[in-house]
Amino acid sequence: MRKHLHRYSRLGVAALAMLPLLLAGCATAPRDYMAIANRPNQVSLIDLEDRKVLRTCPLPGRFGAGTLQMSPDKRTAYVLTNQFENIYGVDLDTCEITFSAIQSEGNTRIKTTAAFAVSQDGTELYVHQNPSLLLRDRYEVQEPRLAVYRIADGLKAKPVRTYSAPRQVIVMQTGNDGTLYLGGSDIYAMDAATGKYTLKLASRSRQEPRYSQRDVLSIWPLGQQSGEFIRMYTAQRFADETRKPETAELMWGYERIDLATGEATTGDFGPLDVVLFSGMTRPHHPNEMFGALSQLQKFDIAKQQLVKSVDLGHSYYCVNFSSDGSKVYLAGTYNDIAIYDADTLEKLGNIQLPGGDQSLATAQVFPRTP
Amino acid sequence: MKKAHIWPALCLALMPFLPAQANEALLRHNCGACHADPANPEAPLSRISEQRKSPEGWEMTLHRMQTIHGVQLSDPDGKSDSAGVLFQLLKHLSDTHGLAPAETVGLRYTLERRHNTVDIPEDAEYAVMCTRCHSNARVALQRRTEPEWRNLIHFHLAQFPTTEYQIGGRDREWFPIAIERTLPMLAAAFPLQTAEWEAWQKAAKPALAGRWRVTGRMAGKGDFNGVMTATAGNADSYSVALVGEFSGGEPLEMEGDSVVYTGFEWRGNLRADAAGDKEQYLQVLEASADGSALTGRMFPFDHPERGIDLQARRDDGTPRLLAVSPAYLKRGTTATLTVSGSALSGAPLLGAGLTVNRIVSRDADRVVLEVTAAADAPTGARTIGVGKASLPAALTVFSTVERVEVSPAYTVGRVGGKEGSQPEVQGRFEAIAWTNGPDGTPGTADDLRIGPVKAQWSVAPWNEKAAKDRDIEFAGSIDKDSGIFAPAAAGPNPARKQSTNNAGNLKVIATVGEGESAVRGEGQLLVTVQRWINPPLW
Ligand code: HEC
Ligand code: HEC
Repeated sequence: MRKHLHRYSRLGVAALAMLPLLLAGCATAPRDYMAIANRPNQVSLIDLEDRKVLRTCPLPGRFGAGTLQMSPDKRTAYVLTNQFENIYGVDLDTCEITFSAIQSEGNTRIKTTAAFAVSQDGTELYVHQNPSLLLRDRYEVQEPRLAVYRIADGLKAKPVRTYSAPRQVIVMQTGNDGTLYLGGSDIYAMDAATGKYTLKLASRSRQEPRYSQRDVLSIWPLGQQSGEFIRMYTAQRFADETRKPETAELMWGYERIDLATGEATTGDFGPLDVVLFSGMTRPHHPNEMFGALSQLQKFDIAKQQLVKSVDLGHSYYCVNFSSDGSKVYLAGTYNDIAIYDADTLEKLGNIQLPGGDQSLATAQVFPRTP
Repeated sequence: MKKAHIWPALCLALMPFLPAQANEALLRHNCGACHADPANPEAPLSRISEQRKSPEGWEMTLHRMQTIHGVQLSDPDGKSDSAGVLFQLLKHLSDTHGLAPAETVGLRYTLERRHNTVDIPEDAEYAVMCTRCHSNARVALQRRTEPEWRNLIHFHLAQFPTTEYQIGGRDREWFPIAIERTLPMLAAAFPLQTAEWEAWQKAAKPALAGRWRVTGRMAGKGDFNGVMTATAGNADSYSVALVGEFSGGEPLEMEGDSVVYTGFEWRGNLRADAAGDKEQYLQVLEASADGSALTGRMFPFDHPERGIDLQARRDDGTPRLLAVSPAYLKRGTTATLTVSGSALSGAPLLGAGLTVNRIVSRDADRVVLEVTAAADAPTGARTIGVGKASLPAALTVFSTVERVEVSPAYTVGRVGGKEGSQPEVQGRFEAIAWTNGPDGTPGTADDLRIGPVKAQWSVAPWNEKAAKDRDIEFAGSIDKDSGIFAPAAAGPNPARKQSTNNAGNLKVIATVGEGESAVRGEGQLLVTVQRWINPPLW
């Protein structure tokens, strides 16, 4: 099964890498870029080969969360900002704001944790909304919903469709066939045309005799570089079904949807020694899982072993990779990006961002022509 | 980072007396824009009349109206400034929508800022649902109608959306559980209308002016002994003077004001300018229904951990014995004991095996005795008397300290104290001595509590990780005599691994006695980062 995964993710990445080249029809080879938001409230485009910040575009409103998704043509960054309320589409080559979803309206305040995604064809934006009615003398929590915005509606975009959605959805991603994956207490698959959703991968609702309930905190939509939508869980693994606490081992595990095939896989990948905030598998090395916070750790998924761990200068919340899988990029928390060798975990350098903290922002790495 | 908001004192300078009607008008003027409910003549101001809480509870709500909802408090007559109006509303709301004394039993720890108190409710689901961010007392010191408890839950999730994503939130369907299970529980356990409140509203409220004999204790300084004088002002306010000393000899002299809310919640605001101690102290005392006693705690505003536990008895001329200090005596030794009370006269009565060698000094408030305990004096807690006054279990006679308990057994200290940061939070410890009792086994019912004794203090790493990270070198230091732990400065420390801050996980060790016979006790001190929001109710 892992072989299978491997093949598909390779294909996925190769196809993605080719796409802009074909479209542009020019001779320049694609290279890796990163888009990342930080304080005071801006988004930067970084040339990862030159380790240079090419452009920094200001965003309206107040900072937060800084969750970011790229358009399929890798020209526009969609950033969740203004205290988890607005999503702006920014042309990273001109800094022009071409799209905005201002969610709150009238006395309805709408917040999105980090759950939004762009459709495969780049025409729609899907957003998980948590509305509250702010009445004159009291607040009223409303049912969450999935709102669909038409990107062509630009700066005046309003939802064109809304569906009921589960509560506690934190991250989302679209698969290659257009399926929308919602990462909540479980992972759900939604048909964005009808709003019908089904259980895709049981997480909190999973009943496993040898395991405690899983705990997942994933607020970074990561994995496109490896053709996956991935979150990490922690759980106690007991020696047997009698679940004796003294036999419990704390384990890390992954919950993964292959974006190309839609295949869902899950399992432990190693022991939990230190807290990690985000993680993903290494491009072209589907058996290698990387995670980071105060340490950068690399695991052998099949052996469920920690391969290597290095202490980081400070914490980084967000992991990502170069397209060829040779370099790890660590982002989030403060205002620099750290670069590590994915084989040796040796530090290769830093890229300093203008401005302040990235905090919970998501760094997306993608290949495109300049 | 900006300095956290300093919560206004519950008692400000003495305020002009306003009749109830004027207070209602003040409420309408300041709150009516959002809370007027003309459709409901029974409760013309929505929400406000459907809940009851402590003065501190009202203080937090009013603070939120100002900070989140932008309420600018004002007096239509222009007589009071916004702080004056705040006080006026606090007083009025606490008096008309407060709690009865019985409704605060077991929950006063949060009013008294005893931040070490562990209060884990038996209902495990409720404990995680409602007491993982704040104390159980913040909840249980409120009474509401069912719709008001519902509004509160909605407010929580709407205002703090991360509630359902944090640990203790994301492991469950937080919101549905809160509405379907927690809400009915809260409405049943803490309803708006109660027999206690009915009765308290009708009860005559005690006047608290007079001379008060005060005894107490402060970790690091010892037993306190003093006199508080309260002179009545208007509208339940008093001017207050407190004079006394600690058993270590340190004097204490303060003056200030107090206001009594809801007929029994005494909040004093005292200062000791004379001693050069400019710190402002808050007194949080509960008046007994008959007005004969005041019980609680006082502490510097910025340092709730440096508190003095206080009991005050009205000196009404009745002979009363209130405390003996120290409250223990070792067999076969001689010690000086201070017997405190009021209207004390007549002979000291100490019981079998104790001899008064001489009376060192005496007056109506205190009798100082030099006492010898015979080698075979009966052990245990005993009644002590002076003339007609007596106090049960006032003195414990013991033979050996067999066990030492560090109190508090677990506490949290906080780094701080640098400019632009929160004041540090010290650890303050006492060594409580015990004997194992006749059965010789520790932890059984016959164990004899001797009380707080002198100890030598030290710290050690709590566990292997703390040892590896060298926590004891960075987190701060403990004074070997007083048991006061002073945390290190806030902020990253380049000398530490990953420039982390000066947090640490420490074992606090009290050693009582010397050499072979020394007995040790251990507690845990977690030194952690600052708390930026320090509301009056944790
Ligand atoms: C600008 C509008 C506004 C004004 C003026 C206002 N409030 Fe409120 N109040 C609100 C809102 C909105 C809520 C609901 C959200 C919340 O609980 O903070 C609320 C809630 C409350 C609650 C319920 C709190 C709880 O814990 O359930 C009380 C009590 C209250 N207000 C008292 C007052 C008082 C007393 C005043 C006058 C000093 C006042 N309010 C003035 C807007 C206002
Ligand atoms: C995620 C953390 C969190 C959880 C969980 C939580 N609270 Fe609170 N609660 C707060 C905070 C923060 C405030 C202070 C709000 C303010 O006034 O700014 C508060 C305030 C309160 C107050 C005082 C409100 C007032 O103005 O009088 C009550 C009562 C209360 N909570 C009850 C509850 C109950 C009941 C639950 C469980 C259903 C609960 N809380 C769960 C964070 C929490």
